[in-house]
Amino acid sequence: MAQPLVKKDDDRDDEADYSPFLGIEKGAVLQEARVFNDPQLDARRCSQVITKLLYLLNQGETFTKVEATEVFFSVTKLFQSRDIGLRRMVYLMIKELSPSADEVIIVTSSLMKDMNSKTDMYRANAIRVLCRITDGTLLTQIERYLKQAIVDKNPVVASAALVSGIHLLQTNPEIVKRWSNEVQEAVQSRAALVQFHALGLLHQIRQNDRLAVSKLVTSLTRGTVRSPLAQCLLIRYTSQVIRESATNTQTGDRPFYDFLEGCLRHKAEMVIFEAARAITELNGVTSRELTPAITVLQLFLSSSKPVLRFAAVRTLNKVAMTHPMAVTNCNIDMESLISDQNRSIATLAITTLLKTGNESSVERLMKQITNFMSDIADEFKIVVVEAIRSLCLKFPLKYRSLMNFLSNILREEGGFEYKKAIVDSIVILIRDIPDAKESGLLHLCEFIEDCEFTYLSTQILHFLGIEGPKTSDPSKYIRYIYNRVHLENATVRASAVSTLAKFGAMVDSLKPRIFVLLRRCLFDSDDEVRDRATLYLNTLGGDGSVVETDKDVKDFLFGSLDLPLVNFETSLKNYEPSEEPFDINSVPKEIKSQPLAEKKAPGKKPTGLGAPPTAPASTVDAYEKLLSAIPEFADFGKLFKSSAPVELTEAETEYSVNVVKHIFDGHVVFQYNCTNTIPEQLLEQVTVAVDASEAEEFSQVVTKPLRALPYDTPGQIFVAFEKPEGVPAVGKFSNMLRFTVKEVDTTTGEAEEDGVEDEYQLEDLEVVAADYMLRVGVSNFRNAWENMGVDCERVDEYGLGPRESLAEAVNAVINLLGMQPCEGTEVVPSNSRSHTSLLSGVYMGNVKVLVRIAFGIDGPKEVAMKLAVRSEDETVSDAIHEIVASG
Amino acid sequence: MLLALLISNSVGNILVERYHGVPAEERLHWRSFLVKLGADNLKGAKNEELLVASHKSVYIVYTVLGDVSVYVVGKDEYDELALAEVIFVVTSTIKDVCGKLPSERLFLDKYGKICLCLDEIVWTGILENSDKDRIKRLIRLKPPAEF
Repeated sequence: MAQPLVKKDDDRDDEADYSPFLGIEKGAVLQEARVFNDPQLDARRCSQVITKLLYLLNQGETFTKVEATEVFFSVTKLFQSRDIGLRRMVYLMIKELSPSADEVIIVTSSLMKDMNSKTDMYRANAIRVLCRITDGTLLTQIERYLKQAIVDKNPVVASAALVSGIHLLQTNPEIVKRWSNEVQEAVQSRAALVQFHALGLLHQIRQNDRLAVSKLVTSLTRGTVRSPLAQCLLIRYTSQVIRESATNTQTGDRPFYDFLEGCLRHKAEMVIFEAARAITELNGVTSRELTPAITVLQLFLSSSKPVLRFAAVRTLNKVAMTHPMAVTNCNIDMESLISDQNRSIATLAITTLLKTGNESSVERLMKQITNFMSDIADEFKIVVVEAIRSLCLKFPLKYRSLMNFLSNILREEGGFEYKKAIVDSIVILIRDIPDAKESGLLHLCEFIEDCEFTYLSTQILHFLGIEGPKTSDPSKYIRYIYNRVHLENATVRASAVSTLAKFGAMVDSLKPRIFVLLRRCLFDSDDEVRDRATLYLNTLGGDGSVVETDKDVKDFLFGSLDLPLVNFETSLKNYEPSEEPFDINSVPKEIKSQPLAEKKAPGKKPTGLGAPPTAPASTVDAYEKLLSAIPEFADFGKLFKSSAPVELTEAETEYSVNVVKHIFDGHVVFQYNCTNTIPEQLLEQVTVAVDASEAEEFSQVVTKPLRALPYDTPGQIFVAFEKPEGVPAVGKFSNMLRFTVKEVDTTTGEAEEDGVEDEYQLEDLEVVAADYMLRVGVSNFRNAWENMGVDCERVDEYGLGPRESLAEAVNAVINLLGMQPCEGTEVVPSNSRSHTSLLSGVYMGNVKVLVRIAFGIDGPKEVAMKLAVRSEDETVSDAIHEIVASG
Repeated sequence: MLLALLISNSVGNILVERYHGVPAEERLHWRSFLVKLGADNLKGAKNEELLVASHKSVYIVYTVLGDVSVYVVGKDEYDELALAEVIFVVTSTIKDVCGKLPSERLFLDKYGKICLCLDEIVWTGILENSDKDRIKRLIRLKPPAEF
């Protein structure tokens, strides 16, 4: 090392303070790396320099491209040295530097030489390095050696090749898949680790071939597996096979269960545990199957090793969600874990107990938790709060002690997330347990008296405004609310004013007193607070005498905005101050479809506070509302069905358009949802020209174009067609988007005066028979089928011709009919030769239809089916057959 | 996947840090999260006593060994039990290389060797070797003894 080493007998204090890398500096080390180029290599010194380079890299230091290349080239010179220690370092260094494709060539020949070396360890390491830095083309050159290495009798070489295979499978799957014979052989290896690595790789190669995995599992569960790690893998693969194989056989025995149960008696804890976990995760596990697994997990609960305790309690926690009764035997052990040093274990124990506890044990449990809460971190507390919330919903009679607990912890110190969790819980309890309402509201009132979080204060005030006036004595909340006007910041004061107004609107007897309070707010230092006070005084009307509030005012105060806030915000930003006032009706109600990536992001759970839940209103209701607001469609009658949006443009095109088909009895309305994705353009007079020449029964009646389509603000165009009443007319429509395009200066947001007319071809759209069918399920198909009777039954047989698979044919027929599959009959077990699907739906004219289809497939993949239709109307039964016959 | 292996000194300075399959921008978060976890819980812990935590779907097993703290992070098949196995190999090899419980100085003196050991134990997120005697031979490019 550069610095002199401290001698062993030196003072220990010195030793502790002194780092051999003290003052290490990248530039200097790179200078030192020149020793790699010396004609007479000093192996020891070279190793030391590599150590320093490694230290730098591990500290997060990065080398520039030039630096890395230079170091890499120097390092390759070290292959000349015969020093074994240095060679090992060189291997590591090359991997750390991960040279670029054009540099790899320098080192390939040296590594290839090592790969064929007589020294086993050179072979193993060269394989690992080569596989790390290689690309597909080089891989084909060395594939032969790798295949040999997999079955090498030296376990280190075999493992190196196998682990390399696992990595290469990600980048070059087709090459690695060719090695399966060798890997298969390696699975039988006597070396424990080789078997482990080979098993992992073999499973990855074959994971999509269910039969092969099943065979693998069957042969290995009978044979011997040497390492506990491999045994764990085997257990995982076994449970996968169990999951995928139907729980058939009349005896009800589960295949491989005996194997799993046998593993519970293995000598390695890891294996026992894996087996226990696998058993608890079996689909529809019975309590007889669960018992042995729970017993071993219970033993782990009192293990001296924290990791085992954690693993056991974590698994039991999961079991408690589905089989709380099975876990109750462990409750005593679990209670002793509440005082576990490791807080993760304690929290899991508590939440498990909360799930398994019965009504009588709630009080005792709460006492234990109270002591525990003071010494855990907020994130754990949140978990406990959530568990208590669900316990309270489970045992509503116990709300008093649970609510008290929540209010007590609400008064203690804690961060925002924690407090929010408590407040949310209290709000949910108030909503769901009527008895808990008054005490809950008072707890919240007390909380806002001393709440440091503006967000929570305003949310609680909003909630009080809705719930408070409905209580038996609303006046007792006024004091808490009005205190906010004196003591808080402007945001909270403004919310308090709104809440007061709501009390005034709902409780007529309080109105005069509320008026006095609101008038005082007129002198507030903040303009928003003053504005709100003025607004409410005016809307509530008059002089503050005891009069009933108008319905309009109540709607204004309590009604929701009914607009997506994002759209509202964009529209307001786009609005230019002018003579024409802002029109709230011009705000699009369509929620912009999010890019896929965003949708995947974990959705936040709906919390208790905030806007009241509006979600359940189905999309059909939303469409109905939207269409009924358009006068031209008023006489179309009741909306029968709205299809899912059909994309008419490809992803990421200039304009994104999808269409929703609205089916009425005698009309069809196409709703084109358009989005302009070019910031430099403003589209005006946007319309869709529809050519219905291939849809003879349809005639166009109304078009509602879009006046303007600014960037990133969705808008809708409607085109309505008339069709023969009650007839499931079908046809194909071609669409052309027509508009005037204007350039927009993105810096100022202003559009140019003159525009150019342009058009944009959209994909064709079809109205198909399935559009006249509502997907409505029945809970018990058999009953419904029997009740429908045979009067209007129609049965016929059809040949579907050659098909890819039975599942594909089943899907095609279900999609053709547009009906709801019942009892999971849309899923076809793999390799089955026949299948019956049960479908239900409501046909145009509100006629219930049930369908039973028996599919069969023969050798050359010819699929035939027998279709039986029952409905309330024989013409409808015939119509269904017609759909199939013409489809 | 073994997402991370991190070794720090007693005050939380990083000595060794290896990540696999963790985006570069998340590494700093992980580093500070782990160091904080250690600062909160490792005080007073016995040498090689394993502590365990889980964060979202990720498991963390950590321990203290002389002056250094060792953390391993894994997900999916690398659950707390597999990680316990990994950390056991790591700590026993470090002890072996250092000849006793490592002081920070001793650890840094043996830095090169320790890097080699870690390279044998974990390779790009997969546990490769779990026997310390074998590792000891492998870093000297000697074939394993049982062979």
